[in-house]
Amino acid sequence: MNQLLEKLSACVEFGKIDIKSPYPPSMKDQEGAFELTRNALDAGISPGEILEEALIPAMSRVGQKFSRNEIFVPQMLMAAKAMSSSMTHIRPYYLSGETKRKGTFIIGTVTGDLHDIGKNLVAMMIEGAGWEIIDLGVDVSVDKFIDAAEKHPGAVVGLSALLTTTMENMRRTVATLKEKFPHLRILVGGAPVTTEFCEKIGADYYSPDPQGAVDYLSTLVR
Amino acid sequence: MLPSVRALERAMGYSAGKAPGPLTALIAEVSAELMLLEEIRAEYRIIDDIAIGTDAGTLKVQEVTFSPGRTVSGQIREAEKVALFVCTAGATVSDRSRCSTADADLLKGYVYDVTGTMVVEKAADMMLRELRRTMEAGGYGITNRFSPGYCGWDLAEQHKLFIFLRDNYCGVTLTESALMKPVKSVSGIIGIGRKVRFAPYNCSLCDDKNCLYRGRKT
Repeated sequence: MNQLLEKLSACVEFGKIDIKSPYPPSMKDQEGAFELTRNALDAGISPGEILEEALIPAMSRVGQKFSRNEIFVPQMLMAAKAMSSSMTHIRPYYLSGETKRKGTFIIGTVTGDLHDIGKNLVAMMIEGAGWEIIDLGVDVSVDKFIDAAEKHPGAVVGLSALLTTTMENMRRTVATLKEKFPHLRILVGGAPVTTEFCEKIGADYYSPDPQGAVDYLSTLVR
Repeated sequence: MLPSVRALERAMGYSAGKAPGPLTALIAEVSAELMLLEEIRAEYRIIDDIAIGTDAGTLKVQEVTFSPGRTVSGQIREAEKVALFVCTAGATVSDRSRCSTADADLLKGYVYDVTGTMVVEKAADMMLRELRRTMEAGGYGITNRFSPGYCGWDLAEQHKLFIFLRDNYCGVTLTESALMKPVKSVSGIIGIGRKVRFAPYNCSLCDDKNCLYRGRKT
């Protein structure tokens, strides 16, 4: 791999945002994800290559380490922030159409539930895998999910719930969405959710961690 | 009342010395900010008109029947009265968490969130110890504290619990979906009686593998 991309990938993986970031200590005073992405683009490397060869593999390694309990939520958030600083340079290419997203992912915490940390982690990991994220926030009504699904045909929907009580709202949301959009793919997640519950309510996939959601989505674009 | 930096690191998954430097610095910064706040509150109300149905898993308080399930009703079966309580870490910690997250500083938002959770749990534990001391002086024992949403007790029953508490009790209100505002708040019941014994949480009775209290020793 190109040395620049290799370095950029390491910066994202270890949460080195920019030259001012003191972390990780081994990279202190060195350029971070922000500067290296700019350098890569200036060197003629395409945004697509930057994504495919640096950012996506970095976030994949982060997701895998989190699944194996080798890192915890704060390190995922630090990696995501580094990725986000890199995306500052990449996003304009998406907007111009020069670089294509893998798809659109609509995500929200179901109505009645105000928890957002898990939802944010999943959104960041999926954005890092090359998808456009439509984040509807927390306490999201079924109508809002319907509106978003109508506005983004072909999108995949992710529902999050942290409370046993709001699992019922998740069931209702899935039922209504499936009735209106029979072919819509729906992922569910959150602390009380299980594979059995996912099957029972007619959702398409349950993952206990963000990387599982990324892996599932990658099967849809093959 | 604030947890130590080390306790917060541990709650986030890190063993001693393993937390990333920026995280430790951020925890210290957030703790210093929250140290200046005086929003942590805890209150309880004792009611002695109760009836417990352990077989049905019910608890009748005056004219209101709760269904906390067999686990909770079994734990409080010897109670002669109950304390209904609310504790909160206050609105600021939740607001700052939300604002940091909205400003794309997700790590800081997360640190506020975890700190808020630990603060309110410590406040509830302190209230429990104080109630225990007061009751024991009068020859009564108390049970552990139990909250809607745990041990199989439906969170929606929080609405019934709040019937007994004056409006804006402890500065806490309920949403339609039974969530408390400020978010970092806990409510629940504690059994009180001469034959009541305090027992640690017994996770083997409960199948909620994601419970906040799972594995706790007190």
